[in-house]
Amino acid sequence: MISLLPLIKNETIKIIKKKRFYVILLILLVLVPIFTYAQMRSAERTREKFHGDWRLEVQQQITDNENSLGSDRVPDEWKKFRKIFVQQLQYYLDHDVNPNEPNGVTFTREFMSNSITLFIPLLIMAIASDIVSGERTTGTIKMLLTRPVKRWKVLLSKLVTLFMFTSLIVVSAFVITYVISGAVFGYKGFNLPVFTGFQITGSDVDLAAVHGVPQWKYLLMQGGLVWFVSLTVASLAFMVSVLVRSTAASIVVMMAALIAGTILTNMASAWNSAKYLFMVNLELTDYLSGTPAPIEGMNLTFSLAVLSIWALAGLIISFLVFTKRDILN
Amino acid sequence: MNSSKWIWRIVSMVSIVATVLLLVGFVYAIKDIQHPQAEQTASTAKPQENTGAKSPDAQKEIKIAVIGDSLAKGTGDNSGMGFARRTVAELSKDTGKKVTLLNNLGINGLTTTGLLPKLEERGTQYVLGQADIILLSIGGNDLFQGADLAAKGISGTSSTATGQEMDPKDLLKGLPKASTQLKAILERLRALNPDAWIVYVGLYNPFGDIEDLKIPGNQAVSSWNQTALETINKYSSMTLVPTFDLFQHNLDKYLSTDHFHPNGDGYQQIAERIAQGIR
Repeated sequence: MISLLPLIKNETIKIIKKKRFYVILLILLVLVPIFTYAQMRSAERTREKFHGDWRLEVQQQITDNENSLGSDRVPDEWKKFRKIFVQQLQYYLDHDVNPNEPNGVTFTREFMSNSITLFIPLLIMAIASDIVSGERTTGTIKMLLTRPVKRWKVLLSKLVTLFMFTSLIVVSAFVITYVISGAVFGYKGFNLPVFTGFQITGSDVDLAAVHGVPQWKYLLMQGGLVWFVSLTVASLAFMVSVLVRSTAASIVVMMAALIAGTILTNMASAWNSAKYLFMVNLELTDYLSGTPAPIEGMNLTFSLAVLSIWALAGLIISFLVFTKRDILN
Repeated sequence: MNSSKWIWRIVSMVSIVATVLLLVGFVYAIKDIQHPQAEQTASTAKPQENTGAKSPDAQKEIKIAVIGDSLAKGTGDNSGMGFARRTVAELSKDTGKKVTLLNNLGINGLTTTGLLPKLEERGTQYVLGQADIILLSIGGNDLFQGADLAAKGISGTSSTATGQEMDPKDLLKGLPKASTQLKAILERLRALNPDAWIVYVGLYNPFGDIEDLKIPGNQAVSSWNQTALETINKYSSMTLVPTFDLFQHNLDKYLSTDHFHPNGDGYQQIAERIAQGIR
């Protein structure tokens, strides 16, 4: 116990001093304005078309989706998605709530649910992929291990630091997105209701349990889910970082896995056992918003279990390898 | 080193706070997804505010809402305009006012049975309530049992195959029920928006060039239009725009390749008639 806290402190200072965390903040500061601008332009355009009346816009969205339901060229799974989508939009209309009310909070919510599979994991990897292999690339690992500290303690301190920064990254992503998009769309909207609790059975939506949640609470719940996904990605990237000698290779491995995940979610509905892969289960926020899962039989408990098992396995492997293997050369 | 001490203090404190916050959110999320509890949302009771549609300023602008089947949507028109957008263009040319299309709520294959519940949806009611002119096209699918079937009939090799697909006698069978529903639709539209000008686009017979279907088709269509007129004539600001004569001997000119929906020129003709009726 004596030596763990100083080690964590040491690792934290290393990450800050190596400017890894600043790079992440910088990426956010550059990319979020770009997305905000794009969103602003498209919002302007639709507002022009529908004379600023969101009810007309939502109604047209419903009609367009209903029209595509009749087409034979639309695959059955898409039809199911759209049918559910139509019922949800209808629910918003019935309760006189604008699902796309333009404000900073709504933008943050939308942005976060879109970035949970790729963007946030990418930011996490900027730290996670480097945390062990970086020391091997530069050779500083020797200095670290020649000290009279158990190896598992060294690795554990790195892991704890990584998790600390994971939380920091998730929160800063939320804060930066809100602050920047709020400058354009306004900072209000924390108390707007968002509907959640859509129970999907087959292609129908059970509305019995639907309830409105104020947007701030929704953001909080979303943050929790993003955080869990980030921890899983961090653990796996951590494992890869232990296994692979170079940082570049370690990033490439994780990136490939994540991109494979996004491709698979788009086309794997026929391949049922793909649901046991971690990268297919990253979109936890979908369970909150009521978007149907990409593969039949997936639900929140299932996804959480899959992610936890992958993360635990990753951690176990990293500790076994790190303590047993001859790291020094 | 002093700066290291501060880095450590700040980073550790902030990250602990962040972690606790996210953990709370995570627990909330799990609870909410696993055991969602419906609650009465207060916003339901909020009355729908009238956004000043009837103010004097609005007179400068004509708002059009379109509802109904594939004809309303504009299926068959390569430019995608349909009679909806073409009417908008015609009207703004004629009146010099600003004419806007609020929504085109046309859905392919919609029948009178499908339209009636739609009129009770809040979004539809909102759109219709805002409109100064409501264009309605419905009934073609009731009568001809969907464009799909019609297309099959056309692509059939012989005229006997067509006869099997669509028995001429069947054309008249569904008529009474469908025309009662049409009456209900028109009355409901009137009730939803007492001030709007309602234009019903009459039916034409797309099978006028098929031997077996020509006469029964004509009969069915004209008796349909007749029953529609019976309701429409009762109201002051309601019209039926006839299209039967337009298409009767011009099927090859005005029908699109699916031989059921009008093409761009056909829609243009309908739009011009609608505009004439409104002036």
